[in-house]
Amino acid sequence: MNELIDKLKGEIIEQLNLEDVKKEDIDNDAPLFGEGLGLDSIDALELIVLLEKNYGIKVANPADGKKIFQSIRTMAQYIQDNKK
Amino acid sequence: MEAYIRGVGIISPQKTFDTEEFLPEVVEYSNNSLRCIEPSYKDFLNPTLARRMGRVIKMGIAASSACFKDSGIAMPDAIMTGTALGCLEDTEKFLLAIIENDEQFLTPTSFVQSTHNTVSAQIALQLKCMNYNFTYVHKGYSFESSVLDGLMTIAEGNGKNILVGGHDEMTDKYYRVCDRVNYWKKEMTPTLQLINSKTDGSVAGEGAAFFMLSAEASDKDYAKLRSLKFIYKPESQQEIEGRIGEMLAEKGLTANDIDLVIYGINGDARYDGIYNQLKDSYFKNSTAAYFKHLCGEYQTSGSFAMWLAARILKSQSIPPSVLIGENKHASIKNVLIYNCFMGTDHAAFLLSQC
Repeated sequence: MNELIDKLKGEIIEQLNLEDVKKEDIDNDAPLFGEGLGLDSIDALELIVLLEKNYGIKVANPADGKKIFQSIRTMAQYIQDNKK
Repeated sequence: MEAYIRGVGIISPQKTFDTEEFLPEVVEYSNNSLRCIEPSYKDFLNPTLARRMGRVIKMGIAASSACFKDSGIAMPDAIMTGTALGCLEDTEKFLLAIIENDEQFLTPTSFVQSTHNTVSAQIALQLKCMNYNFTYVHKGYSFESSVLDGLMTIAEGNGKNILVGGHDEMTDKYYRVCDRVNYWKKEMTPTLQLINSKTDGSVAGEGAAFFMLSAEASDKDYAKLRSLKFIYKPESQQEIEGRIGEMLAEKGLTANDIDLVIYGINGDARYDGIYNQLKDSYFKNSTAAYFKHLCGEYQTSGSFAMWLAARILKSQSIPPSVLIGENKHASIKNVLIYNCFMGTDHAAFLLSQC
């Protein structure tokens, strides 16, 4: 799980072009949206594409997004549970 | 149609951004591709927004911010920009992603930022400016079209302070594409040698320059922009000279009244003859200057020339690095810019001292 979290942090930094953010700056349990990393709705779309492209996971129900993208840890957990 | 240039802001391959100094030194390039000297954008942009922006968007916002600061005008009545290539870096990202991912997994950011009007839109968003906002995409007439719209808007009384500007960025891919159609020199040509070159092609450039055009004069003005003419695909030198003559006559001037002519000489043997003929005959009594060894060739390079003319008129000094031959006039009252892109899109600007 820790390895996946670390990998995911790197992918998010690259995909969202978080120039001044390092992996160690991202708290595993901090909110991704609003506070924490301060991501917004466009970033949410980028993260959905990231899940599908890098892990083959489609977020079928948009309502699940809020739970999946709560934090890095919830995202990693979702990947672990659904990776094909 | 006339307007006063109240403020300027420019990012170019020279040290031109946010400085009182006027080309104190020349940055020379030897790789046939000039790239802008960019400032730290943290002073102009929220990092959350900046991370999604390509280079030309950041350059446009920073250059326009400098123009607002310089002019003392915080909210323009209209924003008009010109760009031939738009946000090329983001366009390339988006198109490449389509190809690489077989039209799957397309992300929104580079698409959203790839449209040509992103820069003028982002300037408006930063200002919360809901006024007229337009982007002209007309190859070598992109910047000139924005200026023309600015002049017309002022002439028609639809605005008093108009932001106009030109911006284009060079990328490695675009450089290679243009190289295949012989835009650039095949041999590496140091920019300070450009004027002596006798081969085809020029060196690639880029830049972002903005101007606050005002209907009313003030003690801050750089110059008065008095006329702008488009001379599309002129068939002969006589046609060029005739059109310039008409332009000057409309303002009660002749060629002898022009103290300085700024030419778009770019080292391309196919087109430099046009400028040299003007320099050696029609404007033989005027001081001559050029600018593309400082900014390179790009579709909106006229904006660099307008900045140069405005600074010369305000400071009453011609940087030695742009002079061709000697300065023939103690004071500079009237400046004409003659520029063309790839021999087709010719334009002449007339500026006068305030």
